[in-house]
Amino acid sequence: MTNKTLTGAALHPAVDVYVKDANAGKLSRREFLTRTTALGVTSAAAYGLLGLEQPAAAAGHAQQGGTMRMQMEVRALKDTRATDWTQIAFVYAGWLEYLVEYNSDGSFESALLESWEVNDDATVYTLNVRQGVKWNNGDDFTADDVARVISDWCDTAAEGNSMAGRMTALVDTDTGVAAEGAINVTGPHQVTLNLPKSDITLIAGMADYPAAVYHSGFDNENPLNDMVGTGPYISESHEVGVKSVLVRNEGHEWWGYAEGRGAFLDRIEFIDYGTDPSAWVAAAAADEIDMTYETVGDFVEVFKSIGYEESAIASASTIVVRPNQAAEVDGVMPYADVRVRKAIAMAVNNEVCLELGYANQGVVARNQHVGPMHPEWADVPATAYDPEGALALLTEAGMADFEMEIVSIDDDWRKNTTDAVAAQLRDAGFNVKRTIMPGSTFWNDWTKYPFSSTNWNHRPLGTQVLGLAYRSGEAWNEFAFSNAEFDTLLDEANALADADSRRVVMEKLQAILTDEAVTIQPYWRTIYRHAKPGFVGWDMHIAYLPHIYKIAIAA
Amino acid sequence: MDALTWTGSFGSTLIPALAIAVGFFLAGIILQLIMTTFATEVKLQSNADGTLKARSGPLGQLEKLNSQIFLLILLLLAAIIVVSWFMPYGKAGILGEISKRFLPVWTALIVTFVFSIMFKRKLGLYGKLFDSTVGMIGYALVMFWVFTAIFVGLFDMIATHDPLQQVSGLKIKEPGTAVPDGQDAEFFPHYLLGGDNLARDIFSRVVHGSIIVMIIAPLATVFAFMLGITLGLPAGYYGGKLDTILSFVANLILAFPVILLFFLLVTPELIDLGVPNYMAAVLFIFPLVFFAVLINSRYYTQPSKNTLHLALILLPLIYVYAAGISEQDTVLYFLPASFDAFTLPREILVVFVSVVFVNSPTVFRIVRGLALDIKTRDYVAAAQTRGERPWYIMLWEILPNARGPLIVDFCLRIGYTTILLGTLGFFGLGLASESPDWGSTINAGRKLLLFATHLALPPAIALLSLVLGLNLLADGLREESLKD
Amino acid sequence: MGLFILRRFGIMILTALCLTFIVFWLTNLYPKLEVLAKTQGNFRMSDEAVTTFLDNRGYTQALPIKYGQWLGVLPGYVIEGSDGETRARCELRGPPSDINPPLSRYCGIIQGNWGFSTVAKVEVSDVLPTRLANTGKLMFWVMLVMIPGALTIGVLAGMREGSKMDRSLSTVSIVSTATPEYVSGVILIALFATPLFGMQFFKGSAASAVDDANFNNFFLPVITIALYGMGYIARMTRASMTEVMTAQFVRTARLKGVSFRNIVMKHALRNALIAPFTVIMLQVPWLLNGVVIVETLFTYQGFGWELVRAASNNDIEMLLGISVISVFVVLMTQLISDIGYVFLNPRIRIS
Repeated sequence: MTNKTLTGAALHPAVDVYVKDANAGKLSRREFLTRTTALGVTSAAAYGLLGLEQPAAAAGHAQQGGTMRMQMEVRALKDTRATDWTQIAFVYAGWLEYLVEYNSDGSFESALLESWEVNDDATVYTLNVRQGVKWNNGDDFTADDVARVISDWCDTAAEGNSMAGRMTALVDTDTGVAAEGAINVTGPHQVTLNLPKSDITLIAGMADYPAAVYHSGFDNENPLNDMVGTGPYISESHEVGVKSVLVRNEGHEWWGYAEGRGAFLDRIEFIDYGTDPSAWVAAAAADEIDMTYETVGDFVEVFKSIGYEESAIASASTIVVRPNQAAEVDGVMPYADVRVRKAIAMAVNNEVCLELGYANQGVVARNQHVGPMHPEWADVPATAYDPEGALALLTEAGMADFEMEIVSIDDDWRKNTTDAVAAQLRDAGFNVKRTIMPGSTFWNDWTKYPFSSTNWNHRPLGTQVLGLAYRSGEAWNEFAFSNAEFDTLLDEANALADADSRRVVMEKLQAILTDEAVTIQPYWRTIYRHAKPGFVGWDMHIAYLPHIYKIAIAA
Repeated sequence: MDALTWTGSFGSTLIPALAIAVGFFLAGIILQLIMTTFATEVKLQSNADGTLKARSGPLGQLEKLNSQIFLLILLLLAAIIVVSWFMPYGKAGILGEISKRFLPVWTALIVTFVFSIMFKRKLGLYGKLFDSTVGMIGYALVMFWVFTAIFVGLFDMIATHDPLQQVSGLKIKEPGTAVPDGQDAEFFPHYLLGGDNLARDIFSRVVHGSIIVMIIAPLATVFAFMLGITLGLPAGYYGGKLDTILSFVANLILAFPVILLFFLLVTPELIDLGVPNYMAAVLFIFPLVFFAVLINSRYYTQPSKNTLHLALILLPLIYVYAAGISEQDTVLYFLPASFDAFTLPREILVVFVSVVFVNSPTVFRIVRGLALDIKTRDYVAAAQTRGERPWYIMLWEILPNARGPLIVDFCLRIGYTTILLGTLGFFGLGLASESPDWGSTINAGRKLLLFATHLALPPAIALLSLVLGLNLLADGLREESLKD
Repeated sequence: MGLFILRRFGIMILTALCLTFIVFWLTNLYPKLEVLAKTQGNFRMSDEAVTTFLDNRGYTQALPIKYGQWLGVLPGYVIEGSDGETRARCELRGPPSDINPPLSRYCGIIQGNWGFSTVAKVEVSDVLPTRLANTGKLMFWVMLVMIPGALTIGVLAGMREGSKMDRSLSTVSIVSTATPEYVSGVILIALFATPLFGMQFFKGSAASAVDDANFNNFFLPVITIALYGMGYIARMTRASMTEVMTAQFVRTARLKGVSFRNIVMKHALRNALIAPFTVIMLQVPWLLNGVVIVETLFTYQGFGWELVRAASNNDIEMLLGISVISVFVVLMTQLISDIGYVFLNPRIRIS
């Protein structure tokens, strides 16, 4: 009998609850895997707990060597902690690795950490650092490196450091750095984290894309200056906006080779074709690339039509087309009136948005920003589609002549979805104007536009996104939604570990979002990657994580 | 409703006939070209009856045959158009239905041509245009789009759907696709040229796009000409420091890569700062100056008439100017809303201003060159000895004599402006994303080229035909004006 | 002649100064700098953070001073930032080495320092030569296709004015001038780079042509630019040819009984090609537009592609570098066309 946990310790008590939830259908398989593996259960065991076989990895069919060319925006590298585009992580993932890896099925897998254990109330994390790992300059990888990197993550003063937000449980709010005694090196290959308060998301945070582990001699300005890392590749060239090439670091004995982890390819090229998907198709048709980074909207069909293979994964990535309740237009606050917002919601048919905006590549949503993929989702009905009623309501609010200006970024699916919303509002008799902005300008004021669209990424828990985007006064609350009852309920939900009891609260939260017509959130996106036949291990990752070592040419 | 085919019931009769005729015609032309290369020179022979005999032998026969085939093609085309009018809906296919939609345009074109040809001797340069085949073809193409813009814009004819309306189920659908059931009875039952990536009717978008082009391109060219003339005449006439400075500035603007200029001018930040509004305030004043000087120099000696004319022309112009540049929420906002008869949408304003800005230096250079040339003529010297004032000479002696090349350039420049507008749309600068203007639709459509060509080709063909028409028109005008 | 060229050079430099100043002003407007700060730092910067970011990096100095620094006539700034770090304009430019001694006071374009691209994170002078070389390659092939094609069409059409040949070829050249690159490019791609019409002979992307240009991936971009320019040059050649064919000396030769072929080849051609030469030179800046469109359409990383990228990201010093080069190219071609005209045409002498 193999061990059920990575360390061989007993199962965390919460696992039992999760198994029960999962068997009762309250917890999706993905969510179950996420939670149990985050508590140190091996993914094979986690599948086993549900009575399932772990799907076989594709590695067996891989061929050693070869070159892969991926279409991807090549951006300037920056401090890993401040990474704001996963495309950046795809480059440095060649030589910088992660402590833990998050997989598309929701499980967490060991990487530079061999295993980890979490105590019952999730306040003590014991991280066991993998032995035998070497930096590519010959240094040993030790617990000190892990401790150093974690404490760097906790530095809230570092410019753009988004890891601090994931490590909040460790950060002392007064000093802005890791709390005294929170990070302890308890052995040459062991780090113990003592959290002032319990937090089950810590491991998930360590698996996110800015959480790459770097050497002490790391140049914060530019990771390329000194490419000391533990990974199998090294950057050969990096030309922003053009091309970035990773090649096998020949002198370096990567720990993963012995483990059979992969790094099959000898050379990985990321080629930048800009943001226009048509250029990617042209490149694919001209055989200049082997796969895309991400395929969107109409181009899913186009890539299929040229014979590419498809990898699709349903996710909680989405778009919101929302009015800002505090925005002032011509001296009035048009969207402060719930009737106006309600009218907008009633005039828009989300199915049409999905069809026209995203080529039906997803699942219709209900304007609640929590969906069936979230464990605590409650089945709250959406506002009914009623264009006549919408106009009546708008007229009642005295805003029938008001010109709504809807802003969106200038790209493919976000623009199209926003156009679809605008057209439906116009059909219903609203006075609508559309404005598009180039990407460089759009993000300047994205939370402040009176009426605009924004994309939101996949997050495992429903409460996570509600807390980020809908809580009063949050930095990312682009809706300017401020509702004391909502905030209280959200706090209440966050305190409940059990998905069942949380669903009761969630029902109220979702009802508030519907009644207040906070936003249009028309669909959940299925995200796609396409590749030329003959490659394995290139599957689209649900959170766009850079698992490039898995890619290989099929044997 | 079934989907329409391209040719409907013509498919088996008239269309193949047309195809065969066109094939023969092209083959004939090529054959003729080959034969001329080897043929001896044309020797004109005078016949006994006093007429001239141009060419005989097989080449002459071929020429005759070719012109007959060409007539046959025209006849077939006319037959298709006319017959399709009398066919019930759906029988004439996509082409037939489109030609039916353009019925008002055909009528207007025929009326224009009939009247123009009837009175062509009394119509000056315009009339002479109808002596040149190239000029007539160009004129027909241009007027086709002019009439389309008028009928679509003013009378809401031709277009089958609202250009912004999205009909679920028609995303990227083939030309001739039927609209799904459940629409109103008067809802046009087909998307004649298919649906675009937002399920909007491509045909309606293309004809609506003509309005934008037809408003901005000629107007912007007029403004550029006013500016170029007002500054170019004195620069050429006086020369000296004034000329040096103005020419330097003109060359400076011309040295800018146009696209860089567009990228710098047409950005949201600059629009928010009101730079286009300031530029508009400066550029739009030149028509005022032009008319003021024009009238003043003419009636200078008759003060009462002068004042009257000035007031009659300038007061409305000043009002239009004020209403045009005064916009709410911008830096230049002085006219109370109740007096502000019209507001130019910001994105239109910025596109307009940029296009005028880019075009005027070239006009300036042309006018300056013409003025330099014409000022050495005798009639100018005569006017000078008569003691006429400089501005009178410039505007009433030099300008009318420069009209030939200017008119030709005007036509070409409208075409160029159309291309520039398309360029702006192509780079996603300026006009709103949903705007049906041709540049933006070409840009949106080209992205899906690998998948479907019917999104990009109709606006591309529309733009091409208009610019081609303008070029042919200019060519015809040049030819005819040189014959003077 | 020497004085003439000197004068032209003076004007050229003055134009370049004015032009770069305009670009400098337009790119240094505060809202644009705000965008820059937010893209460099992060999108959720507060307004104060933006101000300190800009202050620390010398962006908030007065415009003429900044321009002087960029030009290299004023000493580069040395700012002790509010975050304790001292930043100097001249230190930022690469590692302090023998080329850039630390804290050299002047480091502008006069000193050969083109600045730093905030988007690509490299020296402008490292990027632009590669891009220019790529565009040079493209232009070389364009010229190779366009000039012989245009001259042939023009001469053939102008040989016998009013003939069928003339009319057909003139129509062809009018059609080609009336087809902007974004229309012809789209049509060509649709026809020859998609499987829709069964004629997929070429590639619709030229990114691979940067390293390895071949007939397959380079034909469409080259032909797209060449088509648009070809019509105009052909029409000029035709006009000049018809003029020469009616000139006195040609008529004399014909009356003497010289064969038509000899007249065209020996007498007319040389004289008829003077005007097209100037047109071709003046066409170069015009082609620059086409280059921008085509390089964007075919994703070919050349000068025009860099222009679009720099302009849409407000990459200030890159844009300035691009402006300097394009002004230089435009004015140089004007100069060459003037000088060439004088040399080719014996009737004109500079007074």
